[in-house]
Amino acid sequence: MVKKTGVYICTGCSLGESLEIESLSKVATKEGKVPVCKTHPFLCGSEGVELIKSDIENEGVNTILIAACSPRVNYDVFEFDSVIMERVNLREQVIWSQTANDEDTQMMAEDYLRMGLAKVKHIELPEPYQGVNMVKTLLVVGGGLTGMTSALEAAKAGYKAVLVEKSSALGGWMNGLFKQVPRKAPYTAPEEVDVAELIKEVEANPDVTVYTGAEILEIAGSPGMFDASISQNGATITERVGSVVLATGAVPYDPTKLDYLGYGKYENVITGLQMEEIASKGKIVRPDGKEVQTIAFIQCAGSRDPEHLPYCSATCCVESLKQASYIKEQNPEANVFVFYKDMRTPGQYERLYQQVQKDGSIFVRGEIKGITEDGEKNLLIEATDVLSGATISTEAVDMVVLANGMVPTTALGEDFAAKADTEEDKKDDGPKPEVILRSNLLNLSYRQGPEMPTLKYGFADSHFICFPYETRRTGIYAAGSVRAPMDELSSIEDATGATLKAIQCMESSAQGMAVHPRVGDMSFPDFAMSRCTQCKRCTVECPFGAINEDDKFNPLPNPTRCRRCGICMGACPERIITFKNYSVPMIGNLIKSIEVPDEDEEKPRILIFACENDAYPALDMAGINRLKYNAWVRVIPLRCLGSLSLVWIADSMSAGIDGIYLLGCKHGDDYQCHFIKGSELAEIRLSKVSETLDRLDLDSERVRMDQISITDYDKIPAMLDDFAAKLEELGPNPYKGF
Amino acid sequence: MDEIKEVSLEMREYIISSGAETLNWCMQCGLCTNLCPYRQVPGELSEVFNIRKMQRQGQLGLEGFDDEEVLFACVTCGMCQTNCPRSVEIIKNVRSMRNTIVGAGILPGHLRPVAGSLHANGNPWAGPREKRADWLEGLNVPEFTEGTEYLLYVCCTSCYDTRSQKIAKSVVKLLQQAGVSFGVLTAEESCCGETIRKIGDEELFAKLAESNIKLFNGKGVKKIITTSPHCLYSFKQDYPELGGEYEVMHYSELLSELLKEGKLSLPGEIAKKVTFHDPCYLGRHNLVYDAPRELLQAVPGAELVELDRAKNKSLCCSGGGGRIWAEVPFGERFGELRINDAVKQNADIIVTACPYCITMLDDACAGLEKNDVLKVMEMSEFLCESLEK
Repeated sequence: MVKKTGVYICTGCSLGESLEIESLSKVATKEGKVPVCKTHPFLCGSEGVELIKSDIENEGVNTILIAACSPRVNYDVFEFDSVIMERVNLREQVIWSQTANDEDTQMMAEDYLRMGLAKVKHIELPEPYQGVNMVKTLLVVGGGLTGMTSALEAAKAGYKAVLVEKSSALGGWMNGLFKQVPRKAPYTAPEEVDVAELIKEVEANPDVTVYTGAEILEIAGSPGMFDASISQNGATITERVGSVVLATGAVPYDPTKLDYLGYGKYENVITGLQMEEIASKGKIVRPDGKEVQTIAFIQCAGSRDPEHLPYCSATCCVESLKQASYIKEQNPEANVFVFYKDMRTPGQYERLYQQVQKDGSIFVRGEIKGITEDGEKNLLIEATDVLSGATISTEAVDMVVLANGMVPTTALGEDFAAKADTEEDKKDDGPKPEVILRSNLLNLSYRQGPEMPTLKYGFADSHFICFPYETRRTGIYAAGSVRAPMDELSSIEDATGATLKAIQCMESSAQGMAVHPRVGDMSFPDFAMSRCTQCKRCTVECPFGAINEDDKFNPLPNPTRCRRCGICMGACPERIITFKNYSVPMIGNLIKSIEVPDEDEEKPRILIFACENDAYPALDMAGINRLKYNAWVRVIPLRCLGSLSLVWIADSMSAGIDGIYLLGCKHGDDYQCHFIKGSELAEIRLSKVSETLDRLDLDSERVRMDQISITDYDKIPAMLDDFAAKLEELGPNPYKGF
Repeated sequence: MDEIKEVSLEMREYIISSGAETLNWCMQCGLCTNLCPYRQVPGELSEVFNIRKMQRQGQLGLEGFDDEEVLFACVTCGMCQTNCPRSVEIIKNVRSMRNTIVGAGILPGHLRPVAGSLHANGNPWAGPREKRADWLEGLNVPEFTEGTEYLLYVCCTSCYDTRSQKIAKSVVKLLQQAGVSFGVLTAEESCCGETIRKIGDEELFAKLAESNIKLFNGKGVKKIITTSPHCLYSFKQDYPELGGEYEVMHYSELLSELLKEGKLSLPGEIAKKVTFHDPCYLGRHNLVYDAPRELLQAVPGAELVELDRAKNKSLCCSGGGGRIWAEVPFGERFGELRINDAVKQNADIIVTACPYCITMLDDACAGLEKNDVLKVMEMSEFLCESLEK
């Protein structure tokens, strides 16, 4: 495509009064030699948009550079088909954050225009990836409440679903319950388990194929083209599916680890699940036949305990209240103790709590000091009672029920990496692969491991703040208690949400588009394979396991697994990975397009590589709030800080840039990085560049990195000034002018 | 937390069966303790009296709730109960817990003469029965008969206490001025029993109430005017369960109606700044807030100023729940705060409408030496002053 570039400068929103538009235009026409450069006082108005459209249609303009507001606004207005389009942010990040009609402000605006021109020179129109034999069938793994809801929701939305359940019947956890927690007004009493109706509905739905007594042997491929091998009754069935909902749920925490609460030691100390079994059989009696007249529930048996499960299992309080109702229904005179740390009965469950209180159950907030047994196998509990400030001891109780919490099915199994680690891997000081356990749920044929990477406590990772259903495996969405501890209603809601995301994924993949967070992005990484050294960095660093390996150990990209973050591009030491509209040389030329004044002009330059997702919006926010910040900065947005190529640091230094500031997202356990590990990887890479800088006699303090979130915008001016002061201390870049 | 206390399900059941039906409803949020008037005063009792903890000890049947000093400290002002998010009948729970002790014949020393006098004389003030009607001397009040509309029931305090007798007399004058058909049965009446029930002596209460009910029913009483809000409470809330059902009003309610009907006129000017102390049993316990204010404002020249803590936020005088007989060190009495509240508003007169409040406020005003700037008056006395001008 022969590019004909048009530059459109908006003079509205005080741009015309704050900048010398004529000299700005000259940058485009004289320096950039663009054939078309126009200004308009209201470019985002219909007349302004028409002006651009007319040039596209009549003048053959096919590459457009709009110098106006931030690309984060008016993106729906400046939308033109089949042309290359870029935005130069003169409003939020120039006139709103700098002094109007100032020499330095003008220089900044002109640099941004140069950078924009350099960028469009490199951009090519992406061509969407087209897979082979793509389908829009959803695979649901796990036939409990969550899984069945997911399959039905998919069917209701017009998609086919394949539901695989390990046990011989659908229903999952719900099958083991005597009654279910209240879901209907007045929410004060347990309800009959209604899972049978749901099972019937699933089995009757022609769009849902159910495999019970079945397991996933392998899932190969990528979104739109997953091939799932399912074993059932000794046979293997293969289903091609578009995306996957993981709904394998949780299991109770191993009660044998709770011997300090008497489990295993005293026969009348049981678990919540055992209580359901006893209640299902009829009268609640002990194994020795004694009717239960006095019962004690011990909450947080293992949960919220750093020695066991550090988290709250979310449902046990309500489950125990429900079971207290069983006893009270059998005998209103029965005595019920509930020992708890905090009663957690969110929403309508508070009504059940109140009812159980009114029915006369005794709630004791405190710590269990000890449990002993008397000669008749009754139990005596000693506990602190925070509310009376005393240590109390109960009279003999007939039975103790431990509310022993839940463990996600993804948390079970051997560590995949532990075995895979070779001596060579151990020496590698690069980023470590994520934790994957062989939990035998999905059996993914991914180079990175057979299951979902897990985060804290073994739950399938998700970006719990912004997009809870997204996991680190594109096209696989976790829902229900495998994702986080949750109750029945939340599981139903979760299933619905995850199914919707799974459907979006199948639709996007079919069109060659990225899924969240770069929804609609048509670009994907291209590997110049002839230059590959098989170093494996891309396959290890891709947070989404998008890159497998072929039988010759070359990287084998799976474009529909790709989220387009560019982390592989930043990881590749040979720089063989490029996108049509994002590449190492492109950013390199952007850097080179910045005019760096001579040392005697005393105008240092600070280059900011800003993550597009949080740092760049934060810079916009600073402008929106009219916070003035340092005039020496030039901002280059990156798809993710993880796409940072170290060569850009060298490019900047040799261009005479005085300092480089990397602004990325918070990383670690509660990460905010949209691509999970991007900012962390950037930091690891940076730690290696400092040695190089020191060798070149460049102080490593010329490169700084900080974590920033969008709400930190007010800290930006001080952060930049602080860095500028540091650079002043270090003096000008010695390579300036070379 | 060193000593281990045994949970007693038996004691818990006993408390609940004594009337603390809502004891289990308590979720121990502690709002009650924070709203309790004891938080407003210094002293040892304030430090140990924790109504939330008392409920907790009751729930577990733990020893400790029966500590005499604490158990009998509650003034039953109703501040906690009115605001309880779980609608726990806290006063009833206190009453039941007291009953577990009193029912066994144990009563704190200062309350023993009270119970003794109620047994012997039908009043808590050690007044001889034959002198109960002495306050009527010089007044032309007929005995209640079938044809009379209202029975005027005068509180024991106003029958025997010379200061308090003035209240009874003033009420009579006001009723007569408005032409109300009323009579008395003072000589044969017994104490309403409100306070002894709060103290926890259910048996004695029942004895007193049954005797009054027998008298009232025998005489054909249908409507009762009370001089004290405590009697009002008892007749309205306690008597129906024992078969005594009457239309009961505090005199201020009736007078405000008569005022509106034009049957009562208050001609004399009293050009003073007047404030009103809402008695707990008239306000929070019986929800009468407007009637006394309407009456005060009807007096020409009187300017009504509200206290900071007024109406349902009114601060107790500490005379309820049997506390009128308690010895409280000066500096720790709620009444003192109340006098200071009135002084802060620059009021000339603090008016109230309860014989217990009068006793407590009089004491506090004298103790604080504020008699030269503030006068304590009962509502009926204030209105009579206007009548007589």
